Amino acid sequence: MAIDMSQSTGVGQSGGAGGSTAVKWFARGNIVSATVLGAGGWFFGHWWGNVIAGQYTSVQNSGTNDVSWLLGAIFATVAWFIGLGALNHPIAKLWGGEAPLPEKKEKYSIWEYFSYSTDHKVVGIQYLFAMLMYFFVAGLLALGIRTELLSPTYHIWGPDTYIEIVGEHGTMMMMMMTSVIMGPFGNFLVPLMIGSKKMAFPRLEAVSFWFTVPAFFFLLSALWQGGFQSGWTGYAPLSIQGGVGQDAYLFSFALMAMSMLAASTNMVATIINYRAPGMRWSRLSVLAWGMITTAFTMILSVPVLIDGLYVMGMDRAVQTSMLYGQHGGSPFLWENLFWFFGHPEVYLLALPGFAMTTEILPVFARKPIFAFKTSVAGMIGVATLSFFVWQHHLFNSGMNPDMRPLFMLSTELISIPTGFLYLVGMGTVWRGRLRFNVPMLFMLSVFFNFLWGGITGVYNSDVPVDALIHGSFFVMAHFHFTIMGQLMFAVFGAIYYYTPLFFGIKLSEKLGKIHFWTMFIFFNSTFLPLFIVGWLGQPRRVFEYAARLQTLNQWVSISAYGLGLSLAFFVVTFVWQLVVSRPKSEQNPWDSRGLEWLVGIPVPKDNFEQIPVVLSSPYEYGNPNAGPMADLAPSISSVGSDA
Amino acid sequence: MSKGARAGLVIVAFAAAIGIILFGVFGYLRTSPPVVSAVPAATQPNTVNVTMQVDGAVGVGPHPTWVGYWIQGANGQYKQTTLFKVPVNTYVHVKLYEYDSGGPIRNPYWGKEIGTAGNVIIVNGQPVSLVNSYAGNGVAHNFDVPGLGVNVALPGVNGNAKNFCNVGPCNPSEAHNLIQFTFYSGKIVHNYRWQCFVPCGLGYLTGNGGPMTSIGYMAGFVQVVK
Repeated sequence: MAIDMSQSTGVGQSGGAGGSTAVKWFARGNIVSATVLGAGGWFFGHWWGNVIAGQYTSVQNSGTNDVSWLLGAIFATVAWFIGLGALNHPIAKLWGGEAPLPEKKEKYSIWEYFSYSTDHKVVGIQYLFAMLMYFFVAGLLALGIRTELLSPTYHIWGPDTYIEIVGEHGTMMMMMMTSVIMGPFGNFLVPLMIGSKKMAFPRLEAVSFWFTVPAFFFLLSALWQGGFQSGWTGYAPLSIQGGVGQDAYLFSFALMAMSMLAASTNMVATIINYRAPGMRWSRLSVLAWGMITTAFTMILSVPVLIDGLYVMGMDRAVQTSMLYGQHGGSPFLWENLFWFFGHPEVYLLALPGFAMTTEILPVFARKPIFAFKTSVAGMIGVATLSFFVWQHHLFNSGMNPDMRPLFMLSTELISIPTGFLYLVGMGTVWRGRLRFNVPMLFMLSVFFNFLWGGITGVYNSDVPVDALIHGSFFVMAHFHFTIMGQLMFAVFGAIYYYTPLFFGIKLSEKLGKIHFWTMFIFFNSTFLPLFIVGWLGQPRRVFEYAARLQTLNQWVSISAYGLGLSLAFFVVTFVWQLVVSRPKSEQNPWDSRGLEWLVGIPVPKDNFEQIPVVLSSPYEYGNPNAGPMADLAPSISSVGSDA
Repeated sequence: MSKGARAGLVIVAFAAAIGIILFGVFGYLRTSPPVVSAVPAATQPNTVNVTMQVDGAVGVGPHPTWVGYWIQGANGQYKQTTLFKVPVNTYVHVKLYEYDSGGPIRNPYWGKEIGTAGNVIIVNGQPVSLVNSYAGNGVAHNFDVPGLGVNVALPGVNGNAKNFCNVGPCNPSEAHNLIQFTFYSGKIVHNYRWQCFVPCGLGYLTGNGGPMTSIGYMAGFVQVVK
């Protein structure tokens, strides 16, 4: 395997040419220059779009110019990356120059987290805060939804504002969930776990993160532009007849899709090519396995989403009719393109959650992973089958009825590899010497929550049942259990677990347990009754409902406030401990065998002084004969013997 | 930076975040068109009058090319809104000035007057129980309150009229139809959604975007209160 054995990362932070310090600072790129240039790009593109399309009949009649909005967004994004300095390196190379090496520092400055950094640890932390921002903003929107649903008759929002909030919440959450593990934890941890000094394509890694920032603001801006009535699924013709808020939806989703592609390409290249000597596939951490299966799923499915969004953009901006039936197009085209991405996406949310859970469980069970190969087979099985289930979303959409049994069967089949992952977790904790620290509590709750989501998923996949509950709160409760109940609980557990490595601090167990128990209780109290509400016939995305369902809805809304308070408690205590009290962590506080913990806290800038030689599996807990996982200072002969 | 300074920084940051959230909610998301209250006269406790007008794309407000409803307030001034409040158990007499042109509707059923007193409306002094949208000036819009079982089809004016309204709110010296009808507000306190069911979002696919989905234009609420 190809390994970078050099001492330096060799990754360039592009520098400017001559000139004053201020000019150099601006030319090198940073968030200030990116914002200034991005705003300029927006105004230029918007103006140009008005020049081009201002006289279109459709623009004059509706007063809505999609061309100017989309051109504004495109120019703003390109200018944003120019401002960040993302193009300095390729332009320097085009002119025959070389990218300068990054400045060596012993300690990260706060400024580095706002720059176009090519350090995987900085990118991981950037991702962590960005994804948490997505999550909490979308969570606030969820509270807006639940506030409206306190009463079937008294309205907090107008119906148009309500559907704006629902669409915004769903899209923001779905965009965030795709990257909430691969972004922070994948980028930060994978090089450490495989014994590498860096990711394969550090600039691609930086690009992947910096796509998510304009994506967030463009998406949020939809709220101020009439929103998008189509919700996160963007079905035509709603998506074509919507106002410019729909442009914000499609453009931000496209940016996030490009981020996913960049991140996943980088992840695959890194894990395949940058493993240290001795890091066989059988010694690869489960998290890294989860990352590579997820990344392959993204690489195969995300381009289809980008294609669909492009088609939608063309229909909206230049009046093609690819999704408009009356002019020869077909709304089914969008539904198929979207769900060909959308359903693998659901599993590429679940896979990292299971991978993270399986990674952390053995540390607190003090046992090796039960049936490691079955776990890997489960992930590969889920990833593969996830491409054969998308039409179960179209059971009620007028699809060819003969296709229904096939997709019902394939959807039910996927519960088998998913069951592998579940049972591996159960087997790992079985007869373990369990330590109920906060990360472990979160990981155990993943299995409780996922049980509800998984079992109801089997019912949803059956055509007769789906015909009854399609579009109801039952389905909504199902996917909140599988996504929030599984993935987000795994994420919070991972935050508590990896905070020592990321920030050098160890979060309070007492505060963490308050956070866990309140979140766990209120989460279940919020979403379990929604199965009943859905069963009783309450449809999704509708701001009014039958008066007989008010009590249940009030219960759910009050529980949602409790859940919101629990998450607010986490934010306050997390930020307070991170910035103010800074409780210092000891080295390897969880007594983990993982290679990522062996490098010490804080993690050295280049991760490893020398590329380590991996000697054993990271999960040999309870094995008295197991040596250390890796030799961090190998002699030349030991490198040669294994490679 | 000292611990105290860091703590101060965190507190200021949290306060700023809460401020931004409150501004977003109350400065934007909670804003809505004004609500016009219809109050019964002392001599007629179970009757209120509501005066409305429907304008074409006449260049007012943030969306100058959208059609929209206006409701007359207590001071006689028209407000661009679709929200009005009436008491429970009350007959609502509506006087509606229709200033927009019409055309055929896709579903002729929507041309039937339902839920008004006698299932009729008075158009320029003549009772009408069904508007044939394929004849005359067609149907411009309708006023539908599904929760109260009300469907009122509003005949359009001649689009070629010389004195066609160009700036909203329009006035009775311009081409219009005067439409009057009465409906009952029911015995239940409730916010009843109402909606124009004639797709009139000009420039939007099949006419169903823009004003059709926006409160203050072609959708609103009849707030039935105690």
